[in-house]
Amino acid sequence: MELEEEAAPRQHYSDQEKENIFGNEFMPHINSMYNFGYRLTLDQDDSKDLVQDTYLKAYRFIDSFQKGTNAKAWLFRILKNSFINDYRKKSKEPLKVDYQEVETYYNSEEVDRQITPDLRVEALKDMIGDEISNALNALDVDFRTVIILCDLEGFKYDEMAKILDIPIGTVRSRLHRARNLLKEKLSEYAKQMGYKTA
Amino acid sequence: MSNPDQSHMKQDCENQRECMEMLQMIVDGEASSDQKDHFLKHHLEQCMPCYKNYHLEVAIRQLLKTKCTGQAPQELVDSIKAKVIQNLSD
Repeated sequence: MELEEEAAPRQHYSDQEKENIFGNEFMPHINSMYNFGYRLTLDQDDSKDLVQDTYLKAYRFIDSFQKGTNAKAWLFRILKNSFINDYRKKSKEPLKVDYQEVETYYNSEEVDRQITPDLRVEALKDMIGDEISNALNALDVDFRTVIILCDLEGFKYDEMAKILDIPIGTVRSRLHRARNLLKEKLSEYAKQMGYKTA
Repeated sequence: MSNPDQSHMKQDCENQRECMEMLQMIVDGEASSDQKDHFLKHHLEQCMPCYKNYHLEVAIRQLLKTKCTGQAPQELVDSIKAKVIQNLSD
């Protein structure tokens, strides 16, 4: 199980302690967890299943959690791993693109030149509907994930590296690409709304 | 920082890529206070593209936070609690 490596000294909590940890340290993150699950699966029922599975796993492996450490990061890591191991396998729709391919493409200088930050703050202020949500959902899941972790949930780069099992340098470059892609999508909406972005 | 005199600002940034990285680190709370001071006080006020980029990054984050977060359904919360309580009593 992917949690074992995190299990520094294994704890032996009493039932009362388990209940307290679960109620006071795990459950307060339910909204963030549901939002993460929803943004990964883009389906309400799937996200409910994913979040419930994650919480039950967290309970089952509660002895590998050290009281007072970052419960939110610990839970997010379990959810992310469950999504990759269980959900993606079960999903009828196979992963459309090989991530490495995407990363190589977006790391090329070519793309950097194409993406000009010509979006305006004024245009964003008029995006009062689902534009930003749709733009986020349209990103490839790995790019979507770093935006969620950083911009929505406020995780630090080192926490993101642990949650995603990637080096900090990759966190940074992936975030950079993800934000450019998000801006590109938002620019398209801005154009449709009649804003000149040049 | 809110209303710099735009007529004195550079219209091009020669280090746009590096600046963009620094700017994101600042908004992400990952820059040191020296880096932050230097960039915000010395560079941003004089560089139009960076000034615009900074405000754009901030605005996008605000929009994400207000538009892309939500609450978990109560039934999910209840179901998880019920299952865990059941587990405890087993």
